[in-house]
Amino acid sequence: MSFKDVLKTQQHNIREYGMYIAFVAIVVFFSISTKGLFVSSRNIGNLVNAMSYIAVLAVGMTLVIVIRHIDLSVGYLAGFLGAVAAISLKFWHLPLYATIPLVLGLGLLAGLFTAFLVAQMKIPAFVATLAGWLGFRGALQLATRSTGTIIISDKIFNALGNGFIPDIPGVTFLPGVHKVTLLLGLVAIILFIIGEINNRKKTQAYHFEVLSMNMFILKLVFISVVIAGITWVLAGYQGLSWAAVILVLVVLLYSYITTKTVIGRHIYAVGGNPEAAELNGISVKKITFFVFGSMGLLTALSGILYASWLRSATTIAGAGMEFDAIAAAFVGGVAVAGGVGKVTGSILGALVMASLTNGMNLLGWDISIQYIVRALVLAGAVIFDVQTRKGAK
Amino acid sequence: MEPMTEAPPVVEMRNIKKNFAAVQALRGVDLTLHHGEVLGLVGDNAAGKSTLMKVLSGAYIPDGGEILIEGKKSHMTDPLDARRLGIEMVYQDLAIANNLDVTSNVFLGRESVSTQLGPFGILDSRRMEQEAQRLLDRLKIDIPSVRLLVERLSGGQRQAVAIARAMAFNSKVIIMDEPTAALSVAAISKVLDLVRELKAQGASIIIISHRLEDIYSVSDRLMVMRNGRKVRDSAVTGDIDNFRERVVAYMIGARDDFAREADAVAG
Repeated sequence: MSFKDVLKTQQHNIREYGMYIAFVAIVVFFSISTKGLFVSSRNIGNLVNAMSYIAVLAVGMTLVIVIRHIDLSVGYLAGFLGAVAAISLKFWHLPLYATIPLVLGLGLLAGLFTAFLVAQMKIPAFVATLAGWLGFRGALQLATRSTGTIIISDKIFNALGNGFIPDIPGVTFLPGVHKVTLLLGLVAIILFIIGEINNRKKTQAYHFEVLSMNMFILKLVFISVVIAGITWVLAGYQGLSWAAVILVLVVLLYSYITTKTVIGRHIYAVGGNPEAAELNGISVKKITFFVFGSMGLLTALSGILYASWLRSATTIAGAGMEFDAIAAAFVGGVAVAGGVGKVTGSILGALVMASLTNGMNLLGWDISIQYIVRALVLAGAVIFDVQTRKGAK
Repeated sequence: MEPMTEAPPVVEMRNIKKNFAAVQALRGVDLTLHHGEVLGLVGDNAAGKSTLMKVLSGAYIPDGGEILIEGKKSHMTDPLDARRLGIEMVYQDLAIANNLDVTSNVFLGRESVSTQLGPFGILDSRRMEQEAQRLLDRLKIDIPSVRLLVERLSGGQRQAVAIARAMAFNSKVIIMDEPTAALSVAAISKVLDLVRELKAQGASIIIISHRLEDIYSVSDRLMVMRNGRKVRDSAVTGDIDNFRERVVAYMIGARDDFAREADAVAG
């Protein structure tokens, strides 16, 4: 393999590296301009909680856009399902362990219904989900009409969006630092390194090219330092939040499904060339049902996280969330034309957008300027994406 | 090439008929393909050659006639049936996903699974990569890495991937629909080399092409179709100019070897 060929295989990674660099630049800029306030433990903790419900939506939206569709209904659906959760807990007096499966089940059904409209009735997703946008908005208003904002008093439910994982009591060393969080961070680093080394060994055993030893060590050190840094910052406040734990689990699960499973590969095949997929025995319809079903399920989870974070269901919950999720996916490198985009990219996109909002709020920037800055970042990211894609051909 | 009398032909289509509303696309066509043979299939537009191949690859269900695969009567209702019988079609528009790498395309819809976790089959990626690499080596296809995205390959390389995919699963019959259309001269000669390589490795091939020189250079036998009928079926012989002249005469209807049979059927 010549050097040029190596470059060719690496070219699709350039987009990804660009995004990491942009994210680091944003973090450095706000850290300096807020005199460290941005990277304070408390702020990062809040930032993660405030972005989790968008990030969960962005994960589902990634797959929807990959198969060349869009879902505009997820914002109000999340709001409506949050209201259902609140009503179930407060007025139906259903216990939490019944409420959460009920809400997730409703989300799944709503997603499958959208899939039915798109795959079976052949209605363009834009139109089908625009109808959903209107319908769920109405449903949300109907659900909250007699009560207005519904305050949720269930402590465990509210902990999902606000609470932190417990620490080991009675440990005296490192006072003020969350020990369980540190431990989890350490475990994550060890698992990551073992996984990478195993993967490298197996790849070499099959005589496929791997990164050079120096680059490999550099990669291990860099990512370990990043995990350690984040862990240390989070441990300095109240530790890892439940929202962060849920988000990490969702990302791990979806990364695994999209990169390691047959259905994941078929999702990308359908996005790249639906006719080819069909000719090779892949049911585009089945994939569409799977992707919208998962979108519905994640929307329900997002609605739960949001209602829990606010400790209430409001009459306008979820407004605009669909656009934040779509923007996160596009900033994260999901191609508008479909077929291309990673779950981890969209999470990074969500993180970039949330960091921007958070940083600009800390600096006290005017809200109108904030919108314009976010617009520029979104447009800039997509322009960069399109240009690198063109250059790669 | 002399067909062996003992072994049944790998494909035998008898009196195949297919109508689309009032249009008789196929009016009782016979086709025979022997083991290890390359059959060229030519005809003007709407002669019925693509329809005939779609019948053989399971995409169309014929209105009449029968298909025998290695002497056994077969009923195919979709492309997967045909695939199970070892019949692979390389489509004119390639049917390749450009956003995926070479390995994923070779195994598209037939991925190797290491473990099954409920509805999720876990991909055996390394095995597939290794097998894809072996396949490319075996067919002498020049692609630097099986991990390259197909969108980064040239037109000829893409066609090679599509053909390699057809060979990946020990198929008996490979049907190629215009494999050299829209390729550069250099790429065409590579694809034709690949066809010869497949034949050398024992595949039986039907190749549809408008480029008579390509048919001439790789085929053992030629079949000409016109208006939904077979009008010529003979070994490829003589020099290229002679060959071209004769084939064109059949294509435009100036000559017809089966005219009497057709009249008998019509009468």
